[in-house]
This record gives sequence, structure tokens and C-alpha cells, in this order.
Amino acid sequence: MSQKEHLRNLGILGILVAVLLLVPPSFSIYIRTFSMFMMLYVVLALSWNIISGYTGYISLGHVIFYGVGSYVTGVLMVKYGWHWIPTIFAGGLVGGLFAIFIGYPVLRLKGPYFAIAMLGASEGTRVIVSVWDSVTGGGDGISFPNIENSWETYHAMLALMVLTIIVSYWVGHSRFGIRLNAIREDEVAADSLGINTTFYKMSALVLSGIFPAMGGGIASYKVLYIEPDSEFFILVTIYMKLFALFGGKGTVLGPIIGAIILYSIQEITWIKFPTAHLIAFGIFIILVARFMPRGLMGVAVDRGWVRKGMVH
Amino acid sequence: MNETNEIALQIKGLKKYFGGIKAVDGCSFDLPKGKISGLIGPNGSGKTTTFNLMTGVLGADSGEVIYKGENLVGLRPYQVFNRGISRTFQITRVYHEMTVFENMLSASSMSVPERVAREQAEELMEFVTLTKLRGEYGGNLSYGQQKLLEFARALMTDPDVILLDEPAAGVNRTLLKNLLDHIHELQEKQGKTILIVEHDMNVIMNHCEKIFVMDYGVKIAEGPPEEIQNNEEVIEAYFGHK
Repeated sequence: MSQKEHLRNLGILGILVAVLLLVPPSFSIYIRTFSMFMMLYVVLALSWNIISGYTGYISLGHVIFYGVGSYVTGVLMVKYGWHWIPTIFAGGLVGGLFAIFIGYPVLRLKGPYFAIAMLGASEGTRVIVSVWDSVTGGGDGISFPNIENSWETYHAMLALMVLTIIVSYWVGHSRFGIRLNAIREDEVAADSLGINTTFYKMSALVLSGIFPAMGGGIASYKVLYIEPDSEFFILVTIYMKLFALFGGKGTVLGPIIGAIILYSIQEITWIKFPTAHLIAFGIFIILVARFMPRGLMGVAVDRGWVRKGMVH
Repeated sequence: MNETNEIALQIKGLKKYFGGIKAVDGCSFDLPKGKISGLIGPNGSGKTTTFNLMTGVLGADSGEVIYKGENLVGLRPYQVFNRGISRTFQITRVYHEMTVFENMLSASSMSVPERVAREQAEELMEFVTLTKLRGEYGGNLSYGQQKLLEFARALMTDPDVILLDEPAAGVNRTLLKNLLDHIHELQEKQGKTILIVEHDMNVIMNHCEKIFVMDYGVKIAEGPPEEIQNNEEVIEAYFGHK
């Protein structure tokens, strides 16, 4: 991709940020909160995409990082009196370290074994958080001081989303990303062609763990209450995976578009069909998987609207 | 030049058992430097396993692979590659959902600036006549083109030793001639050491200066093509007892 194309894409991101900064004053708190959570899911889908889309290690337990980040923020704010902003960075740091901790054993596994191991790790962490009363508050969770914070969390999430987009863009258009793609395509060949697969897989998992942890921290500060079942809820992992798949995994734009469209549909169906929205959502997903297995970006490539590959 | 300097790679007593199957059972040979050599043998004789042991894809049970005074056994494949030994595979392992250009760039060294890596990729694509397909997915190429791509990709880091596993399999005559011309060019102009595993005897006999023959996991003969063609043990390995 030429420098001109990179500058064009940076310009598009700049316009998006300007719109998201200038328009919201007219939003109701509901729309602002809805927008903040939509941006959260952009962050989550892009992060999941780094380890699962670019690298091919499908994670079914990615909520683990979201949950860990939300608890780091909760514990540091409520128990230690930290200001909320440094707790978000602390959450990101712990999320990255946690990725190394669990990555060491689980990245030795492949395919469904890795997916199930990640699911097991997230469930195991949820149980630990549930019983570690002295630190996490156990099943009762942690309540934050009650304040109206929709503005500051909106801006924080916007900043995090921009950071995640920039990092994902860099990964997708760099030789680092190409090496992750090579691991996804054929790990034995990648190793035989000079790629230290252990290092690259671990790097991908760490990168994909930092941003959900930070997002979890911001979201927990927004809702002002956390407890294990909601912070380690498997549906969060399923959403980030589906959003990325719908838009097109292994691309930068796909997870962004997927999160925006599907999160909006999910919200609408939830409003219209409060009990049946998951069924409606599930049917929609089946149709997508059947007729659009490579997502919207796959359709765009097949029709010649987008060039094949990430690096040109 | 003394004898030691003419050896690129030494295989010493290499062994690999899979349960009760002795895939490689004490194989030893010296790969001559700057020459095209062939490794042949009936199906199941241990050729590809030997390749995999030489490149770290499989760990050896015992034995040594000596390269520039260092034993490569125990190293990971990427470490072997980074020491200057590159390979292709029996069944092509081109990255199907990556473009030809991305396939090439994936094998570039991170210590080389991206601009240089891109130039190398462009040159090598030109070398194997794949420039026109640079934006096409690897999986969309014909099998022969995939062989060429894999060959070019193996050259991205300018390796000293190139191991080619059945380069002629599934490749039409025109592409094969093209590929063999490239192999000769690498050996003659750049002094590369090349080892070819191949079932196509025309390729082996007409293009290799030295041939190693394996059967049941051990080397049973070595020598120039004309000598190998008349070796009783080799004939017996291929055609059975008289």
C-alpha cells in the first residue's frame, strides 16, 4: 500500500474521530451510552481479530481479558482509591501480563484445543474471582461510587477505539502482520521459513489482551458495578467473534463494520423482541455463516471492490 | 581448496523412529558445497524424513547435522532457516489466503529494511516469472506456479543451502524446465548448494552431480549419476531381488 493510501486512511480515521467528538453533545445519555458500548465492541472485535483473525488461533475465552481489566479498575478504584484513568492503564498492563501467563501453556495447543483451553481459562478465572472474596468481593461484586460519568467514559472509549484501530492497522499492514498471517495459513511452513512462531503468537495474544482489558476497565467504570458472571460472560466472547466474522476476520475494516452493524441490530432486536432477540440474532448469524463465510470484506474482495491481501 | 571446505553439510548417524518404524536409521552423508545433489530412494525410504530432520521440522532421536561447525539437531526450524538453510516441501505449502507478494514478503528477514525486502521479493517474482500474479492469492495459482512460488520464497533470505523436496512433482514440462534453469542459475552464478529429493529420474540423472540413495532409512549408495545407474544395490532397492 502506498504512502498516499495510508494518508488517505488516516484522514478517514481523523474525520471519524472529529464526528464522534463534535456530534455527541446533542445526544441523549442513552445514545451516548449506546455509542460508547458500540465503540467498546469495535475494540473487542479488533482485539479478538489480532489473535484469531490474523494469527488463526480462534479464542473462545477472550472475555477473560475484559473481565480481568474490569476487576483491576474496580479493585484499584474502590479498594485503593486510585483515580479511574491510571486504573485503565493498569488494567491494560495486567491484561498483557495475563496474556503471557495463560499464553505460555495454551499457545502450545492448536485449533479446537486452543479454543477450548481459552474457554476453560476464562471460566477458571471467573470461578477464582467468584471465590476470592477478600480482593474481588466474591459473588457480591464491587460497587463503584455513584456518579454521572457518561461523558468521560465516552471520550475514554473513543480514545481507546482510535488506539486499537491504529494498532490493528499497523499489524494488518506490516511484515509483523504478514508473519501472523503466515502462522494462520501454515504454522509448519512459517516456522521453516524463519518465523519464530512462539514469539509471534505470544506477541499477538498480548496485543489482543491489552485493549479488551482497558475496555473492560472503562466499561466497568461506566456501569459502576461489576460481578463475576457479567464480567466473564461468555456471550461477550461470542459477540466479539461474531462481529469480526461478519465484517471479515483478518482485515482491519471488517471487525469495525461488523461491530457497528451487528451491535446496532442487536440493540434494535433487543428493544423490539426483548425475549426473542437472541433467537433472531442467531438466525441472522446462521444465514451469514451459510452465505457469507468470509464476511462483508470477503464479498467486497470477490466483487473487486477491495484488493486482495493486506500488503501491496 | 581442501576436502573439508568442500562439504556444505554433514549428516552423521541420523536416526528417527516412529514407534516401531525405523524411518531413518543411522543415515550419514556429506553434502558437497556449491553443487546440485540428489537424494533418491523408493517410497518410504526416509528421504523426506531426512529433510525434516535436517531442517528441524522433526527432532532426531540421535545423530548430527553439522553446518559450519555447528550441530543443527535440536534447533527449531526457524533457527535452521536463519542460519542459511532453506527448503521447499513435497506437497506445496504456499499460503493460500495470502497474495503471491505477501507469500514472498513473509519469508524476508526482519533485520532487512522493508524497502529492501520488497525489492528482493519483486526481483525473485521476476526470476520465476510470477510478477503478473503478485496480487493473486497463493491458493488460486496452478500447482506448478505454486511450486515456483515456494521455490522463490525459499530464496528470500539468500540461503547458502537449498533443499528441494520433489520440485518436479505435478509440474508440467515447460514449468519444470523453467524451474531447473533457475536451479542451475543459482548453482552456477551464486554457488548455492542444492539438494533435490525427486522421483523423476530424468531430473536426478541429468541435473545432479552427485546422488545419494536411501533405502529403509539408511544410505545404501552415493556417487555420480552413471555410477548410481549401474549400482546393483540401488537396482535391487528399486526393482527387488533378481
